[in-house]
Amino acid sequence: MKHTLLQRLIQAVIVLTGVALLTFVMLRIVPGNPIETMMGEHANVETIQRMTAEMGLDQPLHVQFFKYVASAFRGDFGTSYSLGKPVKQLLNSAFANTLTLALFAALFAWIVGIGCGIFSALRKNHLSDRLFMGFSLLGISLPVFMAAMLLQYVFAFRLHWVPISGVDSWKGFILPAIALGWNSAGQVAQMTRTSLLETMQEEYIDTARAKGRGPAGVVVLHALRNAMLPVMTMMTIQLSGLLSGAVITETVFSINGVGRLMVQAISGRDIPLLQGTSLLATAVVIIGSLLADCLYAVLDPRIRKEG
Amino acid sequence: MKKIFALLLALCMMTSALGGIALAEDVEPGLLRTAVTYDISTMDVAQTTDNYLIPMNVFDRLFETRPVDGVVKSLATDYSVSADGLTYSFTLREGVVFSNGSPLTASDVQFSFERLLKMAKQNTEIALEVAGAEQVMNGEADTLAGFSVIDDTHFTVTLSAPNAGFLAELSSPAMSIVDAETMANAPKFGQEPADTIGSGPYIVTEWVANDHYTLVYNEKYWGEEPSAKKVIVWVIPEPSTQNELFLNGELDMIDLASLDSAIVASTYKTQYADKIVSTRKVGMTYLILNENNEYLKDVRVRKAIGMAIDVDAIIQGIFMGDATRENGIIPTGVWGHNDALEGFPYDPDGARAMLKEAGYKEGEVHFELALDSTANTSTQLVYAFISEQLEAVGIRAEIKSHEHSAWLALRSSGEMDSFVARWGMDYNDPANIMYTFFGNANVAKGRSLNYADEEVMARVSAARAIVDDAEREKEYQALEKKLIQEDAAWIPMFTELHLYAIGERVASFTPHWAGFSDFYAADFVLK
Repeated sequence: MKHTLLQRLIQAVIVLTGVALLTFVMLRIVPGNPIETMMGEHANVETIQRMTAEMGLDQPLHVQFFKYVASAFRGDFGTSYSLGKPVKQLLNSAFANTLTLALFAALFAWIVGIGCGIFSALRKNHLSDRLFMGFSLLGISLPVFMAAMLLQYVFAFRLHWVPISGVDSWKGFILPAIALGWNSAGQVAQMTRTSLLETMQEEYIDTARAKGRGPAGVVVLHALRNAMLPVMTMMTIQLSGLLSGAVITETVFSINGVGRLMVQAISGRDIPLLQGTSLLATAVVIIGSLLADCLYAVLDPRIRKEG
Repeated sequence: MKKIFALLLALCMMTSALGGIALAEDVEPGLLRTAVTYDISTMDVAQTTDNYLIPMNVFDRLFETRPVDGVVKSLATDYSVSADGLTYSFTLREGVVFSNGSPLTASDVQFSFERLLKMAKQNTEIALEVAGAEQVMNGEADTLAGFSVIDDTHFTVTLSAPNAGFLAELSSPAMSIVDAETMANAPKFGQEPADTIGSGPYIVTEWVANDHYTLVYNEKYWGEEPSAKKVIVWVIPEPSTQNELFLNGELDMIDLASLDSAIVASTYKTQYADKIVSTRKVGMTYLILNENNEYLKDVRVRKAIGMAIDVDAIIQGIFMGDATRENGIIPTGVWGHNDALEGFPYDPDGARAMLKEAGYKEGEVHFELALDSTANTSTQLVYAFISEQLEAVGIRAEIKSHEHSAWLALRSSGEMDSFVARWGMDYNDPANIMYTFFGNANVAKGRSLNYADEEVMARVSAARAIVDDAEREKEYQALEKKLIQEDAAWIPMFTELHLYAIGERVASFTPHWAGFSDFYAADFVLK
């Protein structure tokens, strides 16, 4: 297991360096001058030329890259062109919001998804099974922006139960978390149900029953642990996705998160911010994948031995 | 099933118990709440040409432009101009202090001018008109030769060439006055509220990136106390969220330009018609055609294009009548605007005849209409409309969308075939638009896509220095006539109206004279 982890860590460093290089080069070879974009419609040609030189964007690509890497090692990712603040500072405050939102969304998705999945599996082909699976299908097929706007309209605008936007208190996270986790909940529910039904066909389940275990004991103590393996993989992948892809939810509910920063960076050709958000998103996916490996090993002794 | 319903019911009851949100009646007196779609990048006018909301409210200028009165005195209480139009003598208002108590003197005005030049980032153009400005900007001189401080409240400014629009320029937010003494110990001026000290009616107390910023009344302000004592500006990127917040009483003003025109028409113009405040977005939406293009270099083709576009139909169909037709370059609402100027008549048959006269067959003339990918829905519809109308007279104008940065770069290169854009006026003087587009070959390359008449450009440049107002107006109008009617160098289209809606707590609101989204918070009167 230690060997596998070490391998994964080395791979992570290579991937991060690759992403940094690729993002850096691509942002500089695509047409357009980021300084012209930053300075706005009313800036004159002379100012744009002067600022381009001052910010070192007229230097050779390799010089710019080495300067960037050297600064990044010191923890300096530059200053955002569009928000005028250090990228590190912006990412720190935005990531805290995104992390809270993702955790709330994951919590919602997992509790609702696993609960519905188990319930449906136990009540296979009953009305409640169909109802829950219909609900999960709705979760999978309903686009996030529609779920977000519907929830906002009904529960915030009409009923006044929660704020329309902003996350000044934990109440502000309720609707965004549901909107963001809705889709994941549907997927988890379907996967839990299928996996649990398959596991329940195994011989060791019959053995457990023969030993006199009640239905709940069979499910919780024997079937669920094995049935959860593929579900856990999906959940860790979902968490990475929730952390790096909450753009729409953050926009609709006006949450200062990483997704919103990324969109801002793209539309404003904000190179330092785009590089920072890309690296952060990559790191999140890598860590998510590492976590999945570790969880797998915890849940399945065979993997621990193989490692 | 009963258990499921019981669970759902409990969940609903639990959520109800969370309590409601702040509605209009819970709001603290004197608080003004509004929203913007994008956050600012700085509070420093030396580093931006469009993030003006905080500079407008936190700093003062020598003059201000007001919607009805035009250019009025602000920090300057008196001025005179020398006969040659070069030297301006100013008297500063006495007793003005910055919000930290430091007195505002003539040296602060000089420092503010020199700072723009030394930083050499944004808004250098006006300070560059002062004699010796180039040397300060290049680092060859430390102080402006053309700026002379007589005492704390008197100073003179000598320009390198006369400019009759100088006072109007001084009213631009770009010419905000900063405190020389504070700046020495304010390394994060423009970024940190505590370092961003001005003498205006408000103090900025908080700026949370991508979330909100807060202004509070500056008790040391020399002018009238504003009705709004505290202003919170939320950054709400999603227009539908802004809409719900306003309708819910959580915003006191909404900029309707950020909403879909269908929502404005169906909700605001019907249910909230008495709450709508409108003003002209002083500026102009125009079509520019590249004079280096194989077909567009022929003035007859450019004129045919002008005649093929039904601007009135665009105004009615796309902007629901919330725009004014323009026939020239100097927009309605700007000094020197010519109401009597004749633009291109909508005459598709005339356009076809003109193309035929130029020797082009049906469909032969073709070019690209370059669309900025960030253009809003209305602009996209304008592009589609123009393309269809040109097709009707036998011109193929293919719309191609370019990523914003790529669009700007293509335009600057002078290789773009054509584009539709809007120019908003920074200050109330024709030079702000005439010189920007036709002042010299360098600006003309990207702005007016290679307009080439050097004689006209020299006249446009020289017109800035005409001291006599009547003579200057006459020259600008003659130039405008030449550029539109003879050269078809610019296809004028329209000036949009800017609509805002005010909430129940607001008695009145006067928007910025040029219809900026940025506003003077002191122009709100709360109930």
